[in-house]
Amino acid sequence: MSTLDELRGLRRRGARSTKRDNKAAFWFLLPWFAGLVFITAGPIAASLGLGFTKYNLIQPPKFIGLGNFARIFGDERLHNALRVTFTYVLVSVPVQLACALGVAMLLDRGLRGLAFYRSAFYLPSLLGSSVAIAVLWRQIFGTEGLVNRVLGLVGISGHGWISDPDSALSTLIVLNVWTFGAPMIIFLAGLRQIPRVYYEAAAIDGAGKATRFRRITLPLLSPIIFFNLVLQIIHAFQSFTQAFVVSGGTGGPADSTMLYTLYLYQQGFARFDMGYASALAWSLLLIIAGITGLNFWASRFWVFYDD
Amino acid sequence: MRSRLLRHAVWAVLLTMTAALPVACSSSSGGGDELSAGPVTLRFSWWGADDRHKRTQQVIDLFQKKHPNVTVRGEFKDWNSYWDSLATTVAANDAPDVIQMDELYLASYAQRGALLDLNTEKTHLKTGDFDPKALATGAIDAQQYGLPVGLGSYAMVANTDLLARYGIPLPDDNTWSWDDLKKVGEQVSKAGGGAVWGVQSPGFSDAGGLQIRARQAGGTLFDDKGKVAIAPEVLTRYFAYLLDLAHGGAAPPPSVTIEKAGGTLSQSAVATNATAFGFYWNTQLTALSAASGQKLKLLKLPGEAQAHAEYYKPSMFWSVSARSQHPAEAALLLDFLANDPDAAKIMLTDRGVPANRTIRTAIDGGLKPTDKAAADYLNRITVTDPPRVTPNGASTVETILKRHTEDVLFGRATPDKAAQAFIAELQADIDAAR
Amino acid sequence: MTTETATPPATAVPPRARQRARRPSARGVLRTAGKHLGLLLLAVLMLYPVLWMVVSSLRPNDEIFRSPGLVLDHLRVQNYADGWTALASPFGHYLVNSAIVVLGCIVGNLVSCSMAAYAFARLEFTGKRWWFAVMLGTIMLPVHVIIVPQYILFSQLGWVNTFLPLIVPKVLATDAFFVFLMVQFIRGLPRELDEAARIDGCGHPRIFLRIILPLMKPALATTTIFTFIWTWNDFFSQLIYLTDPQMYTVPVALRSFVDATSTTSWGSLFAMSVLSVLPIFLAFLFGQRYLVRGIATTGGK
Repeated sequence: MSTLDELRGLRRRGARSTKRDNKAAFWFLLPWFAGLVFITAGPIAASLGLGFTKYNLIQPPKFIGLGNFARIFGDERLHNALRVTFTYVLVSVPVQLACALGVAMLLDRGLRGLAFYRSAFYLPSLLGSSVAIAVLWRQIFGTEGLVNRVLGLVGISGHGWISDPDSALSTLIVLNVWTFGAPMIIFLAGLRQIPRVYYEAAAIDGAGKATRFRRITLPLLSPIIFFNLVLQIIHAFQSFTQAFVVSGGTGGPADSTMLYTLYLYQQGFARFDMGYASALAWSLLLIIAGITGLNFWASRFWVFYDD
Repeated sequence: MRSRLLRHAVWAVLLTMTAALPVACSSSSGGGDELSAGPVTLRFSWWGADDRHKRTQQVIDLFQKKHPNVTVRGEFKDWNSYWDSLATTVAANDAPDVIQMDELYLASYAQRGALLDLNTEKTHLKTGDFDPKALATGAIDAQQYGLPVGLGSYAMVANTDLLARYGIPLPDDNTWSWDDLKKVGEQVSKAGGGAVWGVQSPGFSDAGGLQIRARQAGGTLFDDKGKVAIAPEVLTRYFAYLLDLAHGGAAPPPSVTIEKAGGTLSQSAVATNATAFGFYWNTQLTALSAASGQKLKLLKLPGEAQAHAEYYKPSMFWSVSARSQHPAEAALLLDFLANDPDAAKIMLTDRGVPANRTIRTAIDGGLKPTDKAAADYLNRITVTDPPRVTPNGASTVETILKRHTEDVLFGRATPDKAAQAFIAELQADIDAAR
Repeated sequence: MTTETATPPATAVPPRARQRARRPSARGVLRTAGKHLGLLLLAVLMLYPVLWMVVSSLRPNDEIFRSPGLVLDHLRVQNYADGWTALASPFGHYLVNSAIVVLGCIVGNLVSCSMAAYAFARLEFTGKRWWFAVMLGTIMLPVHVIIVPQYILFSQLGWVNTFLPLIVPKVLATDAFFVFLMVQFIRGLPRELDEAARIDGCGHPRIFLRIILPLMKPALATTTIFTFIWTWNDFFSQLIYLTDPQMYTVPVALRSFVDATSTTSWGSLFAMSVLSVLPIFLAFLFGQRYLVRGIATTGGK
């Protein structure tokens, strides 16, 4: 214990020697830096610039000032898309993460058939954006699909879930939750990193399961929970492929699955209004950045780092 | 020090970008380019499914045998990916030389300066065997931006097996009206008992049907100046009819309709034998029959007996990129695709009944019965002058129509409101593209 | 470069062995059985659609949409043979192309992202918070507005129709997701370990290679698996950058089976979809054991 304290003291002193780190950091960050400058920065800056123009992808962009951004406020279909997107994010992210963490906890400790379960739960995520998903989803949530057949057994007559504007979005949310494999894997990896000695020590101290979860698992896993939360939110805001594939690119029926990025895509690639699409993209960036910033601020109160 | 370096680098990249963005849209050199003697590589892109990819590759091989110095690289995509990819490559001045083009997009690519006026390559591209009216469908302001590949006409597909099973006589398509369709549809639905319905609701992928409705009422969807010209009353009647079909039971309930319309052709209500009637282009008969497995027949459209509105619509066009490095060779390939009997015998009606009259007779022997029926249909109907090509900016017409149809079917908008919204939205898209 | 250098410290007694040694009580058995039942039910729910796809790949075309069940009426293995030869090249060609891209991306991500992550997690440098925000910011823009300028950039470099536009960005750590992932993992590692190494006179490269990398194996495995799967499934950028059918990868090739305007060979599509999921599934099956070998089992302290 005393050596540990000594080390901690050393670390605090070490943290102040910033000069040497600058040089090392440069070398460690060199690939990322090069990527930023040569690959990412140009297109990102270009898209920002295009946000202030009328650009139909072929003829030279025409500067129109804040026109595109002003249009955002009067665009009712966009406001609908925002509503749809926020519903999608607010429902699917917590449910997906809860599923992922719950299953990861179940799968963590020595359980027979672990490898099987892990693969089974991850398999749906492997299918990803496959074209087959569109067909699959129809087969499950269609009028004659699996869900209605099961409901029929209990005497409830269902309807076409995908084709009804009132329920179409829920099927997309289910689809997103269904692929909880990715955050689950990250949770699993995180759980593995928690040194067993902590649990053993706690068990010796007579701590119950709930206490161990609250006192050891949650704090030590918090950086990973935080990571998943931040990334899944960003990811959900940018969700495109599934909505595109399931609705055939239309966001239908009646715009009920029109996610923000799908709308943006239609503006850019179907209406050839890349200027407006760029303005939309940057507005989305502001929204996501705002929420992520909030997340980082809130993380001070619940995320525990060992540094 | 480093940050200044970075700033320079960022500016350098930005400058390259902005230099690349406004790719000039100058048209090509003009009258008849010379064929090159040296090796030439052409990029040729199309959309379609696996069967078309195979056939087209065979045609390419044949072309390369005849012109050994020309290498043709075929690029194939599915419909959605095709347009994403085309938009990007055209923007980057990297478009394929020969482009398969759709009627919806012809004007929007041509008027943004991406397509070559084929009249400038007449030495290598012969169009003598084409009906001038057919050729005109690919022209905008006397400039030939697309060469029509196949011809089609809007038609009613009827499942005669289903009708026979329920003992319902096939309606007489020489006299029938839209009301007759509704009545027979209701009969089928009653007999079908909730599993089979009468009519697959129009309103989805139905720009053709909308055009027909406008023309039957004496108008047109777009006027010569490229403005939306369909009368609001006509459109209101169109939406009210859809609602009528759904409420009266002639068409399936809205959610079934939307579900069936959301998939590919082989998942549609007609292809899965869920309805006895549906609207399609006559050339889709073969694909539909293959999917359905039952006997399908083409009928003239309702209302045609009262007012002729039918016209020949090109199934697709061949276009050449305005920035092609080898316009002469590209024209040569187009000439081969359009006029060579051997090429036509490989492709048959995969891209529609050929618009070239000589070719149409040349492949007659190799046609499937359903292809024959599609070709016969063209001869049975009375056609009038084709409407103007879909204007620049209006390529979204089908998605807009679909959304408003859904609103109407689910009672989220009245036919009247939907009609006004449709017109306003479509007109706004056209204005925005100017 | 990453896993070779991993020299795990001596193994302590695996804690799992200790757990198993506990005598099972009746309640414990019941609880385990319940747990298995729940998990199995969930597994069926998760797997049903996947199984349906496999069964569909063995059905004749016209039966696929008529039967949502899993019972095969007519077995049709021919779908696989048909699908294999349906496009310009045998399907194996596309599998190989995808494999090349995936391999390049994995190596690129592992090397560059772990380096960047180390800097963000363990080094103090000027403007660190700002650079970190920039890094996160780069993944917040939807790809659709970036792709056109980026395509122009790559086509100026003459990289269109090569795998470079797909691989080089990964080598240059543009996948901020993984940088962030690894940062979080490294920050979860006890600092005392690298402080101790520093006292022994190790520089950052050695701490990174000898201490951090071996300890973050689960994160590296996660990165590998995710990169594999996401690259394997990534459709949009591969569609845009690869125009020559010779260069097509699996997702691009698969899409050319389905065209909204013509007949689709669904049987072949499903057959090839199953074939294309198989490599990822195998990769996962064999890769997942590395996920389990965190410090928990290799010792730690």
